[in-house]
Amino acid sequence: MLLLNCLEGYNISFLEVFQYTRQESVIHQLDPRSKLALSITVAAITLLFLNIIPLLIIFLCMIPLLAAAKSLRRWATSMKGLSFLLVFIVIFNTLLSTVENPLSFSIALAIRLLALMSSFSIFFLTVHPDELSQALIQMKVKFEFAFAMSMAMRYVPTLAQEAYAIMDAQRARGVEMDKGNLLKRIRNIVPIIVPLIIVSIRRALSIAESMESRGFGASENRTYMEQLTFRKRDWAVLFVSVILLIVTIYLRFFTILPDWVLWGLPL
Amino acid sequence: MGSNGAGKTTLVKHINGLIRPNNGRVILDGTDTKYMSVAEIARVVGLVWQNPDHQLFLDSIKKEVTFGLKNIGFSDADANDMCNRTLVRLGLEGFAERSPFSLSGGERKRVALASVLATEPRVLALDEPTIGQDAKQKKKLIELLKELNTRGCTVICITHDIEFVIENFPRTIAMADGKIIADGSTHSVLTNDVVLERCSLTEPELTIAARSLNKRFSQVSNRLTLLSELEDAITELLGGI
Repeated sequence: MLLLNCLEGYNISFLEVFQYTRQESVIHQLDPRSKLALSITVAAITLLFLNIIPLLIIFLCMIPLLAAAKSLRRWATSMKGLSFLLVFIVIFNTLLSTVENPLSFSIALAIRLLALMSSFSIFFLTVHPDELSQALIQMKVKFEFAFAMSMAMRYVPTLAQEAYAIMDAQRARGVEMDKGNLLKRIRNIVPIIVPLIIVSIRRALSIAESMESRGFGASENRTYMEQLTFRKRDWAVLFVSVILLIVTIYLRFFTILPDWVLWGLPL
Repeated sequence: MGSNGAGKTTLVKHINGLIRPNNGRVILDGTDTKYMSVAEIARVVGLVWQNPDHQLFLDSIKKEVTFGLKNIGFSDADANDMCNRTLVRLGLEGFAERSPFSLSGGERKRVALASVLATEPRVLALDEPTIGQDAKQKKKLIELLKELNTRGCTVICITHDIEFVIENFPRTIAMADGKIIADGSTHSVLTNDVVLERCSLTEPELTIAARSLNKRFSQVSNRLTLLSELEDAITELLGGI
């Protein structure tokens, strides 16, 4: 469904929020491992709640962090791109959900998605793909996996470009992507998806060949030019994240939450 | 013609409405394309892309060619007919049931061309059609384009292949930095040093020859482009007819 929306609205722009942007900021300078801890903590806390108020609080806490990363504008445009999907989530959940107050529940779900996306965007916006793979390696992930991971990140925008080119090519052959009923629209995706997959496989093969011809995997033990080091502020971020997580879990499961936290719309 | 990133493909995308102009108008047969959808324009304008993999997706070449035809509203029988005709013309008749993905790059490119040609467009635009084609295929391609042209089809070709243009195309539009910098007869555009420099093209080989002759014999023009012209000039120098 997500894919369908992207293709129909020709709007993959909200994925840009997961693309690294070069900036000089406090957040950019943090160690990727501490940022990963922070993002996972925020995501975990988000998943603990399904009420509007706590989710909104988490979401609002993200904004100063994004501002500190000097990425607020980029984030805002991406979130605008996401608005269509959010409306979609709210409408469909409200209509189809069987919970007591479906509207309130769907709004909470939409905010949860926003908060989740924001928490991971802080990580992906500020961590260079090279840093990410280095962080993974220093977390004892095998080099091949870390490399594959950073390659995957690197190719997301390329894939998006390719998708646009394919859509143009098919539209030039008379495929009308924004016409017809739902079934026809879904069928119209086939001419886009099949070439996209084939082009990707072809490219993957040629990348593999060119990597091997440049000696990938030639030596068993790799050494690394740059090593990541944990500094005081990284420890601080890690510490705060862990404390936050423990406190929230305690509050959520071992205390009775006050009424204002559980407030919802009467619909 | 133009250097990389000069805006050639962008310009061509305007012709079939994939990109709409911010300023100005695109007029096709007297109708402003503003009022036409891409699918409607596709009936008149055929675009052959640089990368055939962007449009091939079906499991046989025949299906691939008839797909476009059915999209723009031909009946199954007509589509079949037109498909067979086009495959014969492009030397692909034995391939009708093969899968496009089992073909070589050059062959795939011809399948993509076939799928557009089959619709018999009034305007045909090709993006880099000569890449990956051997001399024989190039010759076949040009014969086909010339035949289409004599039957009233406008052929627009984006290419970096200067010799290909000189030998076959009467009109050249040169682009640089998103602007048209020259538009005129191929002969005068492609022997203009400023144009060649801004489009990062090398001079046509025969012009180089003519220029060296010109240094020694000033009566030879330094803007010749065709073999026949050069032959005439040399015969004249030697005192022939």
